[in-house]
Amino acid sequence: MAFDQMLNELSSFKEKALGMGGPDKLAKRKADNHLNARERLVALLDEGSFVESGLFSTSHRAEVRERSPADGKITGFGKVDGRRVAVISNDFTVLGASSSMVNGKKIRHIKDVAAKAGMPLILLGESTGARMPDRMGAEGRAMLGQDPYEYRRLRESPWVSALLGACYGSSTWYAALSDFVVMRKGATMAVASGRVTSVAIRQSIDSEELGGWKMHAEVSGLVDAVVDSDEEAIALTKKWLSYMPSHHNESPPVHAVPAGSEGRGDHILELMPEDKAKVYDVRKIVETIVDLDSMMELKPRFGRSMCTAFARIDGRSVGVIANNPLFKGGAIDVDACNKVLGFLVLCDSFNIPLVFMVDQPGFLIGVDGERKAAPGRIMNWMSALSLVTVPKICLIMRKSYGQAYLNMGGGRNSDEVVCWPTADLGFMAPQVGVNILFGVKEDEDPERFRKLVDELSKDTSAWRLASLYETQDVIDPRETRGCLSRLLEIHRTRLGSGVGKHLLANWPTTF
Amino acid sequence: MAKTNIHSEINGSVWKIMIKVGETVKEDDTLAIVESMKMEIPVLSTCDGLVGEIFVVEGQPIAEGEPIMSIDH
Repeated sequence: MAFDQMLNELSSFKEKALGMGGPDKLAKRKADNHLNARERLVALLDEGSFVESGLFSTSHRAEVRERSPADGKITGFGKVDGRRVAVISNDFTVLGASSSMVNGKKIRHIKDVAAKAGMPLILLGESTGARMPDRMGAEGRAMLGQDPYEYRRLRESPWVSALLGACYGSSTWYAALSDFVVMRKGATMAVASGRVTSVAIRQSIDSEELGGWKMHAEVSGLVDAVVDSDEEAIALTKKWLSYMPSHHNESPPVHAVPAGSEGRGDHILELMPEDKAKVYDVRKIVETIVDLDSMMELKPRFGRSMCTAFARIDGRSVGVIANNPLFKGGAIDVDACNKVLGFLVLCDSFNIPLVFMVDQPGFLIGVDGERKAAPGRIMNWMSALSLVTVPKICLIMRKSYGQAYLNMGGGRNSDEVVCWPTADLGFMAPQVGVNILFGVKEDEDPERFRKLVDELSKDTSAWRLASLYETQDVIDPRETRGCLSRLLEIHRTRLGSGVGKHLLANWPTTF
Repeated sequence: MAKTNIHSEINGSVWKIMIKVGETVKEDDTLAIVESMKMEIPVLSTCDGLVGEIFVVEGQPIAEGEPIMSIDH
């Protein structure tokens, strides 16, 4: 055949590039039960849909050109459940998927196309960070910073980061910028690795303590979900994407409503305690209201007195923000404030209506919160809330006290307010109020205390709020699903056909 | 054998201690109930194990972050 040599060469180069770091390294990964970079893409993408960009890219340095297939980061486009996505899969078997000039260009191109063509970006993270000696010296610096928009996030399309191993450098930076971060147990993410940190500060640092899943899920809040394997991370990524539009100029996809979604309202009266002193897990109530099995909680281990979850009502995505009395009685601490803020920005940026479910005794007061700048967080939240242009529906289930009444969508801070008859509105708990306003303590003068509590408790009811038209309805709790469905439908389309104005599009990614 | 302290997440008072030293517990089991803001708020175990030491008595005030008991695991 004509061009035999050329075709053979092409075939051989292709085979070499697809060989990643070589059979030994790949075998070791398999033995350790870790998927390799290409296997991850196969698991993620619809069969046959991967269009690779830069298969024949290599390091720009002659001495490593032959052992840097795809320059350590496999990039391109594919489909997930029939919808186009852009992907970056770090190949740890090639120079630790370290960052350098050529793979930097690849990342830039994939990001640009994801934004321009309107598709989610999925980053499968596992990288050692900056490549040496490429990044050393002034010459190394000169390679960087060629793109002033490298870390600018305008939320044109959703970004997902899966942390699937040691994640330093780009895997960490892009995770911080992403909308959804799923971390596999055993993976680590930090500014620098445990080893580098130990050397720099001359103290032994445990990698898990520095950047392990527990710390990130519970303390830093940088991780939305924790899983046990690569496969689970990929499954969760696909699940999260199913709630999202492909880009910010369209509504999320509509799914079928599962059989059995209706008629579970009676459970609400079983889950909500009649005794106001008792707490409950609000997530169980949310589950009975939304489409069957459609709830996906985000950051479940962080800021737990607030539940932030994707769900569907009538097959359409909603963002649920629900106080959870099970933790801290529902009192809102700084972590919960930060969690809600991120969720407001996420839902508003991608055209997902918000449902507030309220039962909170106020912001958690105390020295700890003040040291974390609580007033700043509270005002950030109010500011963001005022910039939201997707529909906001507020359901007041039980207590709503203090400033947090506004943060949780009270008054004109949401589009519609509905109450259960159990709603309890006021400035602070009457028992505390009596102490503050009259200086009367319960154990010192129980009868007078009781009388004053009764007085302060008057006119805290849903009926009084309704008579002043500060709640547009008072409903039977069992009818909550139907009520929310109708209100969401009334507000759904708006003048932008369900697409908001995205005034939060360039809000910071971490607060 | 590791020891994990279970802390109160809020200021309040210890209302009820639900377990005894040496008892087997699982993650998310209710170990005690703290009264705060006129609510009964459960203190949940963060791990599986055996109840080691109980540091508080019913009725005493408790601060946010103060240890209530230890779990051996």
